[in-house]
Amino acid sequence: MITRFSFFQWMVFGLLLVLGFGLFHTQVVRGHYYYELSLRNHIRLIPLEAPRGQVFDQKRRLLATNRPSYNVVAIPEDVTPEVYPRLSKLLQMSEKELRQRMSAGREYPFAPAMIKADVPQELAFKVEERRPELPGVSIRVDGIRHYPYGETASHVIGYIGAISRHEYDSLPRDRFGMNSTIGRAGIERVFDDVLRGWRGGEQIEVNARGELVKVLSNRKPEPGSDVTLTLDLEFQKRIMEMIKGLHASVAVLDLETEGLLALASAPAYDPNIFVSPSANEQRLALLKVQDSPLLDRSLHAAYPPGSVFKLVTALAGLETGKITPQTRFVCRGTFRLGPKAKVAHCWFAEGHGSINLYEALERSCNVYFFNVAKRLSPDDIARYAHELGLGEPLRLEIANLAPGFIPDSAWKKSRFKQPWYQGETMNMAIGQGYVQVTPFEILRLTSIIAKDGRIVVPHLVSQDPAIKVERSHVAIHEQNLNAIKRGMLQVVESDYGTGQLARVDFDKLAGKTGTAQAPPLKAHSWMTGFFPYKNPKLAFVVFVEHGGSGGITSARLVKQMLETWKDLNATAIA
Amino acid sequence: MLRRLLKGIHFPLVFSVLGLAAVGLLFIYSASFRDAGDYEAKQLFWIILGLVVLIGVPFIGYRSFLSISFLFYILTLILLVLVDFFGNRHLGAQRWLEFGPVAIQPSEFAKLGALLAVVNFLGSHHPWEGQTKTVSIAVLLLAIPFFLIVKQPDLGTALLFIPMSIVMLYLWGVRKRFLVGVFGALALAVPVTWGFLKGYQKKRLLVFLDPNLDPLGSGYTALQAKIAVGSGGLWGKGYLSGTQSQLHFVPEHHTDFIFCVIGEEWGFLGSLLVLCLYGFLFHSIFLIMQHTTDVKAKMLCGGVLALFAAHILINVGMTFGLMPIAGVPLPLVSYGGSSFLMNCMALGLVLSVYRERSIF
Repeated sequence: MITRFSFFQWMVFGLLLVLGFGLFHTQVVRGHYYYELSLRNHIRLIPLEAPRGQVFDQKRRLLATNRPSYNVVAIPEDVTPEVYPRLSKLLQMSEKELRQRMSAGREYPFAPAMIKADVPQELAFKVEERRPELPGVSIRVDGIRHYPYGETASHVIGYIGAISRHEYDSLPRDRFGMNSTIGRAGIERVFDDVLRGWRGGEQIEVNARGELVKVLSNRKPEPGSDVTLTLDLEFQKRIMEMIKGLHASVAVLDLETEGLLALASAPAYDPNIFVSPSANEQRLALLKVQDSPLLDRSLHAAYPPGSVFKLVTALAGLETGKITPQTRFVCRGTFRLGPKAKVAHCWFAEGHGSINLYEALERSCNVYFFNVAKRLSPDDIARYAHELGLGEPLRLEIANLAPGFIPDSAWKKSRFKQPWYQGETMNMAIGQGYVQVTPFEILRLTSIIAKDGRIVVPHLVSQDPAIKVERSHVAIHEQNLNAIKRGMLQVVESDYGTGQLARVDFDKLAGKTGTAQAPPLKAHSWMTGFFPYKNPKLAFVVFVEHGGSGGITSARLVKQMLETWKDLNATAIA
Repeated sequence: MLRRLLKGIHFPLVFSVLGLAAVGLLFIYSASFRDAGDYEAKQLFWIILGLVVLIGVPFIGYRSFLSISFLFYILTLILLVLVDFFGNRHLGAQRWLEFGPVAIQPSEFAKLGALLAVVNFLGSHHPWEGQTKTVSIAVLLLAIPFFLIVKQPDLGTALLFIPMSIVMLYLWGVRKRFLVGVFGALALAVPVTWGFLKGYQKKRLLVFLDPNLDPLGSGYTALQAKIAVGSGGLWGKGYLSGTQSQLHFVPEHHTDFIFCVIGEEWGFLGSLLVLCLYGFLFHSIFLIMQHTTDVKAKMLCGGVLALFAAHILINVGMTFGLMPIAGVPLPLVSYGGSSFLMNCMALGLVLSVYRERSIF
């Protein structure tokens, strides 16, 4: 009888026997074949890099694509000594540099080493012609990243760069090779995994002279997937032209799809210089420039919001019941908290007289909002600022952290070990002092107002399923939002309005201007709003660093932007 | 003193360990003498430490190990979870934990931890009592480390749990229908595990079925390993003069692919020598198993044996295309401290079974 024990014993020795037979077959029966193959190792593995996915705008126009590039590569094991002088003359590289390139780290033996990337076509042909006297050297045509519109949407698309040795070691081989690139900023970075394909390769048998005998196996690379953005390239391009030379940013959101139509920041940079190895100096120059063109001013730079913040103060006053839209305060051009307090000024020295909330928004009266703030605590204002998305995470595909900041009394206490002074509430109410916001946060705030309190999550990639929000509406009453909307309408459409320069003749616009003091330089210029007033389609924010008055610099840009938008959409329909 | 220490040691087993360790040392040197790293010196240190463990464990006795097995089991699980958080990434996998200069591989410890815990658990329940509950708990005990290791991802090591589990249950006396059940559960687990696998692991398995699928990754390695072993022929190319392994065609040739170096430089005869040493080791373990009446001891030895056999099957099998490419060391031969110490500890437990054998 076979016991369990003896069955186990048989299994184990049977297994060793199987291994023995397998090895006998491989080593003794087929040994000669493998010995032949091993002689000069006749197997070459030629990696085939997968083309990176493309980036389109909403109308399928190419924002990032690949162009063919000619690379001079060599298999160092096949290169003979007389190749070096010939190649060095041809490529105008020193022999020393050539040797360095040849001995640089490679993925496996007999892998081709990159000698010179992206050479001109004529040179590539010349090398190809002379191949018989250059054993081991060949020309490989690879795809190289190309951004056809240069700086137009550079901050959104971002750029790519070569991977580091450390990254190479920690990443899977079938996706990253030693000469692979990886997204370093923007969409290229965040969607790298989507855009990146799977590498392929060709295993070939060669003869003693390194010539192809037969292809043993072949795996085609799988190209990366494409990404389609919500941006409208033409719109973005015209906006970039408008703000050329300024330090400014413009963001426009389609309120129906919640997709960003334009996200422009100036100055910008040409992402192509990150691709081409010959553009080293330009890259370094970019980092040294004072205006930091790499910075996306709409997402990553925070500024005092100035009068734009009055929207928040007004909502806080309404929601806490401290004011109604009809509450009147008298503005005589100055304001004092108490008899001994410092005098604060309205921007309009003669004073606005007795005005209600609508008029106060329309004329951006500081004194009115000082009076509102007097009835509020800083924490009230902070609460509604957060409710409207200020100082909260961004949740845009390419950025999560917003550098915006909303102060409150607890923060002041822990930061400065001082109580909050009422005077600081005055400052906060008109968007000065510690308050810092990014233009993008203001865009989101305006969108929430425009959509009657619906929480808007702007996005950039159209196939991305909408980001789940925990709740659909902010905790603010709709009638209060409507009061704010009416005030914003008057900002543009009333003849006393601070934003009337933005008025367009084809529909009603609602907005709010801001002129944030930034001594010692000129003030920052803001304007945000939505369009048209009824059934809004667009929300936008325009910001010009040290641009002066919001009602002038930004309002003019808004008008231009809206006219462009109408232009583009009219032609689209026709 | 020395006589007392060596009394009750099963010398054939120690002899085969020494033989395998010596072959390992020779070929770790051959595989790495051109590179910096002094692997052979480090391995010598591990071997000496391992031998101390091998001789020392029988003095503590396997019963003490079994009594703290659950503690040890929990500890290895914690290490496995830690590796998920703090582990070192290498080629997309997280397998190592660094403690100062020493990097340990928790999955090595987890194998022994699970083995001891299951032996202790099953041994405390008689197979004639209701089996359903006992078997389910034992399978659960094995499944937890299994999935943690799959998640790392280290598929090769995780797969080693399967033969070990089956052998332990089998020797315990599990009913045939449960064994069928376990196989059925495994068949069900395959699609689930497939979902857990990283893209490159799926590809590795597919490459095993069709080596032409992935010339870039493991298909290339598989072919190069085969060329290395096959080109050794009957006699081999001679010690230190293999061309394939020396030229780095085969990756990690001092660890997982050391058998390629042996096969290439010492040929079929060298391969046979290694297999015979393992055969001798297994034979010794079987002898020890025959001499014990303790069911726990039997399962313990069986589990250790199954673990060794599975390692060898995968490691040697992958060099000539019988098995997919997996990062599994060749026990007692491959370079690596965690692995060598754990193997010595496992065999120390087997020696302890011999020392405490029933004498008729």
